[in-house]
Amino acid sequence: MSHQLGRVVSEILHRYFGELVQQVGNDLFIYGSKPISMIVKTTGLPRKQVIESLRTLLKFDLASFEPSVHEVVADYKLLPDNVLLLIRYPRYLLQIKSKYGTEAELLVEELLQQATSTATGLLVTVATKNKDDKEKNITILKLKDTFVSLATAGYIQQAPVADTKEGSSDVPSLVPVATIVPDLDSRQLIHAMTTGSLADIKDNIYWKVNYDRFHQDFRDDIMVKAMTRRIDDNAGELMRLLLQQMYLSSAAWAAESNPTPALDIREAVRRAADKSLLSQHVDHYLKVLEENGAGFVRRVGDAGGGQLVVCGRRAAGRLLEAVLDHVVTERLGSNAARIFRLIRTKKYIEEDDIQKHAMLPNKECKELTYKLLEEHFISVQPMKKAASSGAMAKAIYLYHIKTHDVAHTAQELCYRALHNCLRRGAHERNAHARLRDKQRRVRTIVHGMRMRGEPQQNIDDVEETLTPPELAVLKDVEKRLKQLSAAELELDRNLFILNWYFMYPK
Amino acid sequence: MAGRGRGRGGGLSFTQEQLQALGIARGENTTATLAPPPLFPKLEAKPLPLSCDAATDYMLIVKDQFIEYLHETPAYVKPNLRTDGIERYSDKYKQLALDAKQGKVLDCVWVNMPAELRPQASKIRMNSRKRKLDDATDINKKLQTLEKKETLDENAEVETENKDEDTVKKENDDDDEELEDEEEQEYEIDEGTDYANNYFDNGEDYDEEDDNLDDGPVY
Repeated sequence: MSHQLGRVVSEILHRYFGELVQQVGNDLFIYGSKPISMIVKTTGLPRKQVIESLRTLLKFDLASFEPSVHEVVADYKLLPDNVLLLIRYPRYLLQIKSKYGTEAELLVEELLQQATSTATGLLVTVATKNKDDKEKNITILKLKDTFVSLATAGYIQQAPVADTKEGSSDVPSLVPVATIVPDLDSRQLIHAMTTGSLADIKDNIYWKVNYDRFHQDFRDDIMVKAMTRRIDDNAGELMRLLLQQMYLSSAAWAAESNPTPALDIREAVRRAADKSLLSQHVDHYLKVLEENGAGFVRRVGDAGGGQLVVCGRRAAGRLLEAVLDHVVTERLGSNAARIFRLIRTKKYIEEDDIQKHAMLPNKECKELTYKLLEEHFISVQPMKKAASSGAMAKAIYLYHIKTHDVAHTAQELCYRALHNCLRRGAHERNAHARLRDKQRRVRTIVHGMRMRGEPQQNIDDVEETLTPPELAVLKDVEKRLKQLSAAELELDRNLFILNWYFMYPK
Repeated sequence: MAGRGRGRGGGLSFTQEQLQALGIARGENTTATLAPPPLFPKLEAKPLPLSCDAATDYMLIVKDQFIEYLHETPAYVKPNLRTDGIERYSDKYKQLALDAKQGKVLDCVWVNMPAELRPQASKIRMNSRKRKLDDATDINKKLQTLEKKETLDENAEVETENKDEDTVKKENDDDDEELEDEEEQEYEIDEGTDYANNYFDNGEDYDEEDDNLDDGPVY
């Protein structure tokens, strides 16, 4: 809940939902939780618009509420973590598209847009939208199957429902429910498709996207990719199998999974079978993973041909180290990174020893050390000798790295950069709003003309209303916006690793 | 007093040994810079280029689509238009676009929302405001002030007002929406035609202010 986080969250809300939601969100962020009347008072907005903003926030699960002392009204609270997830939506879609194909992508996209939806409503809307698309060939039955498999795999889950038992209906309390894979009636769906109305179907089970399941996928991908890059493809494949085994027996985000017998892994490799090299050398690969796999996998016993655990916590730690090394290198240069790594390997080290081991000129070394200290990448612990009378000369200064704190520093940096990206993007968009608007209009007109089959001459005439200098400016702006947008996605990747690290308590 | 003996001036500056320990040699002391640091400092190292592959392109497109979709829906809350009094040719079109979006309400699962956010919430709120007038002493006080000020139409006005309140009470008992709407209209018509009623409204505003003070936050 830092200042930088508040700035990012506010900027994201502005980008996605406009100025008013931003104001309300910001207000909630600053004051924690408060009722409507207080929001109205501090923001100075009309009550109606505050209500609309709150609806938006609640709909997209960006805020929560609970009954206040008076019971009749609710206190609202912003959920900054969920606001940050808005940036990650494209990644969810990419993931689901590459894993389950176009239908799943359409479903998840629609569900993200609607935030919550009933199964039938979702299926019918997606099917109706893509009715005319011959290429994709979407049918409602295929969609239904995809929906069921998504629900089974846990990518979508049932939204929490209002608790009806408690008397006061003024402020409902939401309770999460266990997801039950729905049994949808195909005939009813087709009927709803043809009539175009949902009135006949009584469906009041709402669904939403399960972010956590996606995050597990991201985590697995990162781990597999890390092993692939560190060792080779086969090791990556083995890591994937190990993770699959892990899901069978332990919680998804466990710091250490329950032990898996190596026999099971061997069995799984044999079943996967297409990697002949891997199945030949399973034992060797397991050994290599254990010894040289950055501590992702650990052997805990020898029973049953060896017991293996996957250390999520260690993996997160190692990845965080890599991220931090990278951050330091990019910000302060490779020499600073050398000092940083040195301090980490030595745990606690005196200043003189840094110079000796880092093999850098005295002055440069000191400068870099102080710079690292200034930017909160390293910490210093003075050790005073009790018996000595001199003040400073006798004290020993031990440099060390508090990983958790440094991770926070990196997180702040990410937030700040993200905020800058969003801010700059908004500025570009504002500055060239008129031109971009014009371009959009010309495009729609030209598109319309093409559809009507008008002569090329006329189309050219319309297109020429955008002069070459204007086109040049537009191209430039497009490029810059694209870069900023891509940077946002990259920053989000980093934030993901940091959050993964913070998931495990200190 | 033992510590004060060494070094003249304040105790804040370092001794020569300490400076040397920090890596600053004699005569190397830089003069203090008084100018503020630049607002946009130059980058020391050029940042790495961003990866630009098909996946990124796809994500960028999807993201833009998503944001565009949100901007079209009522989820994107727009401020009331501020006009500067100058008529423009484009006003007409802007108004048209605005009208198309106006009146649309975000479709949420209303059961899961607090009552005050549900679409009919504003009406309930208005009624609850009126209800506060039921307080007998309040009414009497108000009537007395009115009696002083008014000479003629006073009786008629009190009657209509009482009638209004009765209906409001009834409505509170049963939460029938239709009835509520009818009442709402009736009330509005009264307000529109009756001069005296309009006058009475001012009193209500006065009262409202008081209420707000009462409801005020506990800091």
